[in-house]
Amino acid sequence: MAAHLSYGRVNLNVLREAVRRELREFLDKCAGSKAIVWDEYLTGPFGLIAQYSLLKEHEVEKMFTLKGNRLPAADVKNIIFFVRPRLELMDIIAENVLSEDRRGPTRDFHILFVPRRSLLCEQRLKDLGVLGSFIHREEYSLDLIPFDGDLLSMESEGAFKECYLEGDQTSLYHAAKGLMTLQALYGTIPQIFGKGECARQVANMMIRMKREFTGSQNSIFPVFDNLLLLDRNVDLLTPLATQLTYEGLIDEIYGIQNSYVKLPPEKFAPKKQGDGGKDLPTEAKKLQLNSAEELYAEIRDKNFNAVGSVLSKKAKIISAAFEERHNAKTVGEIKQFVSQLPHMQAARGSLANRTSIAELIKDVTTSEDFFDKLTVEQEFMSGIDTDKVNNYIEDCIAQKHSLIKVLRLVCLQSVCNSGLKQKVLDYYKREILQTYGYEHILTLHNLEKAGLLKPQTGGRNNYPTIRKTLRLWMDDVNEQNPTDISYVYSGYAPLSVRLAQLLSRPGWRSIEEVLRILPGPHFEERQPLPTGLQKKRQPGENRVTLIFFLGGVTFAEIAALRFLSQLEDGGTEYVIATTKLMNGTSWIEALMEKPF
Amino acid sequence: MDCYTANWNPLGDSAFYRKYELYSMDWDLKEELRDCLVAAAPYGGPIALLRNPWRKEKAASVRPVLDIYSASGMPLASLLWKSGPVVSLGWSAEEELLCVQEDGAVLVYGLHGDFRRHFSMGNEVLQNRVLDARIFHTEFGSGVAILTGAHRFTLSANVGDLKLRRMPEVPGLQSAPSCWTVLCQDRVAHILLAVGPDLYLLDHAACSAVTPPGLAPGVSSFLQMAVSFTYRHLALFTDTGYIWMGTASLKEKLCEFNCNIRAPPKQMVCEEIFKIASMAPGALLLEAQKEYEKESQKADEYLREIQELGQLTQAVQQCIEAAGHEHQPDMQKSLLRAASFGKCFLDRFPPDSFVHMCQDLRVLNAVRDYHIGIPLTYSQYKQLTIQVLLDRLVLRRLYPLAIQICEYLRLPEVQGVSRILAHWACYKVQQKDVSDEDVARAINQKLGDTPGVSYSDIAARAYGCGRTELAIKLLEYEPRSGEQVPLLLKMKRSKLALSKAIESGDTDLVFTVLLHLKNELNRGDFFMTLRNQPMALSLYRQFCKHQELETLKDLYNQDDNHQELGSFHIRASYAAEERIEGRVAALQTAADAFYKAKNEFAAKATEDQMRLLRLQRRLEDELGGQFLDLSLHDTVTTLILGGHNKRAEQLARDFRIPDKRLWWLKLTALADLEDWEELEKFSKSKKSPIGYLPFVEICMKQHNKYEAKKYASRVGPEQKVKALLLVGDVAQAADVAIEHRNEAELSLVLSHCTGATDGATADKIQRARAQAQKK
Repeated sequence: MAAHLSYGRVNLNVLREAVRRELREFLDKCAGSKAIVWDEYLTGPFGLIAQYSLLKEHEVEKMFTLKGNRLPAADVKNIIFFVRPRLELMDIIAENVLSEDRRGPTRDFHILFVPRRSLLCEQRLKDLGVLGSFIHREEYSLDLIPFDGDLLSMESEGAFKECYLEGDQTSLYHAAKGLMTLQALYGTIPQIFGKGECARQVANMMIRMKREFTGSQNSIFPVFDNLLLLDRNVDLLTPLATQLTYEGLIDEIYGIQNSYVKLPPEKFAPKKQGDGGKDLPTEAKKLQLNSAEELYAEIRDKNFNAVGSVLSKKAKIISAAFEERHNAKTVGEIKQFVSQLPHMQAARGSLANRTSIAELIKDVTTSEDFFDKLTVEQEFMSGIDTDKVNNYIEDCIAQKHSLIKVLRLVCLQSVCNSGLKQKVLDYYKREILQTYGYEHILTLHNLEKAGLLKPQTGGRNNYPTIRKTLRLWMDDVNEQNPTDISYVYSGYAPLSVRLAQLLSRPGWRSIEEVLRILPGPHFEERQPLPTGLQKKRQPGENRVTLIFFLGGVTFAEIAALRFLSQLEDGGTEYVIATTKLMNGTSWIEALMEKPF
Repeated sequence: MDCYTANWNPLGDSAFYRKYELYSMDWDLKEELRDCLVAAAPYGGPIALLRNPWRKEKAASVRPVLDIYSASGMPLASLLWKSGPVVSLGWSAEEELLCVQEDGAVLVYGLHGDFRRHFSMGNEVLQNRVLDARIFHTEFGSGVAILTGAHRFTLSANVGDLKLRRMPEVPGLQSAPSCWTVLCQDRVAHILLAVGPDLYLLDHAACSAVTPPGLAPGVSSFLQMAVSFTYRHLALFTDTGYIWMGTASLKEKLCEFNCNIRAPPKQMVCEEIFKIASMAPGALLLEAQKEYEKESQKADEYLREIQELGQLTQAVQQCIEAAGHEHQPDMQKSLLRAASFGKCFLDRFPPDSFVHMCQDLRVLNAVRDYHIGIPLTYSQYKQLTIQVLLDRLVLRRLYPLAIQICEYLRLPEVQGVSRILAHWACYKVQQKDVSDEDVARAINQKLGDTPGVSYSDIAARAYGCGRTELAIKLLEYEPRSGEQVPLLLKMKRSKLALSKAIESGDTDLVFTVLLHLKNELNRGDFFMTLRNQPMALSLYRQFCKHQELETLKDLYNQDDNHQELGSFHIRASYAAEERIEGRVAALQTAADAFYKAKNEFAAKATEDQMRLLRLQRRLEDELGGQFLDLSLHDTVTTLILGGHNKRAEQLARDFRIPDKRLWWLKLTALADLEDWEELEKFSKSKKSPIGYLPFVEICMKQHNKYEAKKYASRVGPEQKVKALLLVGDVAQAADVAIEHRNEAELSLVLSHCTGATDGATADKIQRARAQAQKK
């Protein structure tokens, strides 16, 4: 069921099993039949940890979504609230409990805080007079959720906004806790590197937490060699650009949620002759995207332009395999052919799905507007005309294209120019306010606070220095057989991943100057290991680096890191962790403020 | 052999017992013991003596004196009794001394005579006074049973969790029962009492008469009764000098005998007599070893004898066990030596039991030492467990010995040394004559970062002793902020708690302190505190954003954060205000704030929004329809769609909409209206700032090829090919591309050459290409 989690260099299934065990233990504490009342936001992430079958085995009979007033009727002994520790949710829970008390036969109420128990919330429940109604009040420290064999996410939507806009470090604290859990399972990570203010804070919290646990010596042989903590605001550029990998484009166009994507159903209609396409399914097609599907694992990180050839090659192999049946003469041969059929049919199904998705994406990527947008992005990233009002952006506003698209472009230009000239900035802002409404002044303020949109100060544009030193723009990109990470954006090498790459070889000392230009401190911490646990690396054995993106990571960045992991002489393999899997659109959306 | 068993006396047919003096008591008693109230704690515990308990004179010299001794008679404490008359003394399982006063108050003292607390046995007891009292032990803890002057019983089964139970009345009980005791059955405490020849069992609901089975006739009164420590056995002594022994359930008789003593004994003790197993093989082994030491060949004979019987393993085990039950180290050594000797002749005798016995005996001998005075038997020790023994050592402040034992037994630090050090520290903080600095330093020096030591627990103790400053100093050493902060709050050091919470990064902790502070301080001070803590301030702002919007405004005001104030009022103009006037007023406040923040752009934009709002309101009044909350762009579009071109123009001018965007806007609106005539007029009004390709595109979008073609011809040369292709004129597009000699354009046209009709065009392009390459 979750076998794909164990295929990577680090067996993340260990983590999944650990959190599953914790969940079972909690459920068993509440003896008897149960109903779970869900904070809706949690259902997606929980789906990656435990299917309904697990809950059912532990006598969960009903599931409801948390909302006001009274709970739906359920003939169960226990009612358990699974919630994030938020005050507004406490108010709803209190309402539920009070109306349930009036209803009659008493139930046992329990509350499971995810990922952390909160004194603040308990105080609120106390003020509302229901704290005593709960028999078990516990926390479920589900900080990092395994998404794939090399990918962990906290799926904390507001993390970037909270950290960089509102000065709320709650998600950093959870990140540090999550890292402590990882270390408890996979051993102490001997070296910590970091860049950025939040990275510094997470490292500080980890060191502090380690002191708190001095009693329990960790005796697990370390699996990770390094931890690299990166602030998203060190690299604001990358998420703004359109991702050009297969998975990245699926996310850009359709949005991947908790590893699932919903697609328009037309392309997936079973092809039958004479049907005339009458009964097209109307419900969106839901597909899970992870390395459990072999073909998907193979193509997801490729540049979209290289996907077509792989798919057609696969198609040929599969149809050749089906042709084999004509060559099968003896009973034995036929038997063998038949035994392979299920696998072949699965492969054919998977290929059909992949091809349909590729077609859907191709419809978008071949459109003229997509091409124009990409051209503008690439111009900005390679440093062309970043200091004046861009025609294409102007036209987009005039034609009232989606505001997020416009904001992404304007921010991209601002970042690639170390801020815009005041006149240019004001012009864009005015255009946006007049076209989309003055209320968006709040959104613009947020973007300015986050540093995504800003006037150039000191009249100096640092971006060219950064671009050249870090080789962010590569003219000779090979999309089919890439030799550099820049293939994921067809020319632009993601800054964040470049930093990781340079850290691994030759080390950050070579780029001190650029590191000073980028925001926040860079640092290195060592966590001493007892001699028995110190690793003696075999010659040719790769190091394992856990790279944690504070504030979100895109699929294209993940693809670039996987590319580095697979390099034969790379020397480093990466496991990726983040507060949220995101793209430019979901990122900007989270920063937008709609007062009505 | 007989030298070992010389002090054993026969008891009945098959049992022997021995009695020996553990210690020659060191106490210097002036009174006879019978003039004192005495209580000795079980399991080698301390002994309490209350001298002159019944004297009521005020004179200090004759006031009662409470002395506490160790089991070896070492004085632990001595204090003058200043409270009321004491009826009974007893020790709890935690080695706390319970002193039951005549008025039903129970005073609790520690081992060192330190007063801990007191509790009352209730009003009924207070009124009727205490006639008699018993301290008893159950699996839940220690209890107190009271017989009042009204001949009623009141008991509490656990003084740690005081719940008083008044027992039902015994029918016809006019005077005190001749004897009574507490029984504990099925986890419930009962009282067994004797009234003349009758026995009654009291539980919390009823009083029932009981008769012991097989009781000899002729009993007219029970004089004494005793229960075993486990509540399993009961002994009754009658006025006929007859003793009945049986199970405490009164269901079975075990034995009886007549001792021919009529007078009631002062006290009766019921013990389970420990039977020493037949020493046979073990004894032989002991003998063998002794002979071996004498280098006598008898050793071999004895050994052979045991081996022939196949009992060597058993012999070794017996010697080991027997060693455990011996109190004299010499004797222990002999037995262990014998065991060790026998072991040599066995192939596979697991060493654990021998090793553990050696360890246990070392521990036991250490605590039995005269100076320590805990004369535990081996069985008691096993029942008590090492953890409890350590607790008792800690209670006697014998920290070094406790630590030595932990180290000797290699107990894990958290259960062993750390725990004891923590106890030591808790004791240390109570030494009031030592300065805070010295105590804190001494504790930290000794404890350092020892795993499992909770500095916050020690600090809590210090705070309990009224040493707040010391507690704060100790908390500095506490690495877990989750533990630091609540205690600091309790000590009303909220500001310190705040900085600790911030240090931890745990935002929930910070919130908790903040809400505390908010209630504790007046608003001004609270805000000032926040001001110095940016992280806390941001968090509190977050809180206010969701919970207390008005406070948020005050916070921004205090910080002169005009930019955020501006945003605040913008939000308010959308969320809080319904009426246009209110919204405009909120916006005006916002604009003023933006000016103060020197954010001219935002101020101007906000003023524009005010202007637009008023205008939209007027448009709604004059033209009807929905205008409010449309963007400026959409307002103009709506006007055009409604045919109000003049007003649209006016609005665009008023708000200085750039030409380019206005053209896009009009183009889109007119095409939506499919007002082709107006569109054409518009296109000719002046030279289009956006070119004519958009015209072509938008007509094609509305599937109007006819109109599109009109504009295609006007498209500038750069986009001509694109325009021609859009309207489907491939041939002409080819001509233009060839004329431009533009390879990209040629390919573009070629890609549009589909179907038979375009065959010629395609050829034409190929020829042009070929020609271009030649050149």
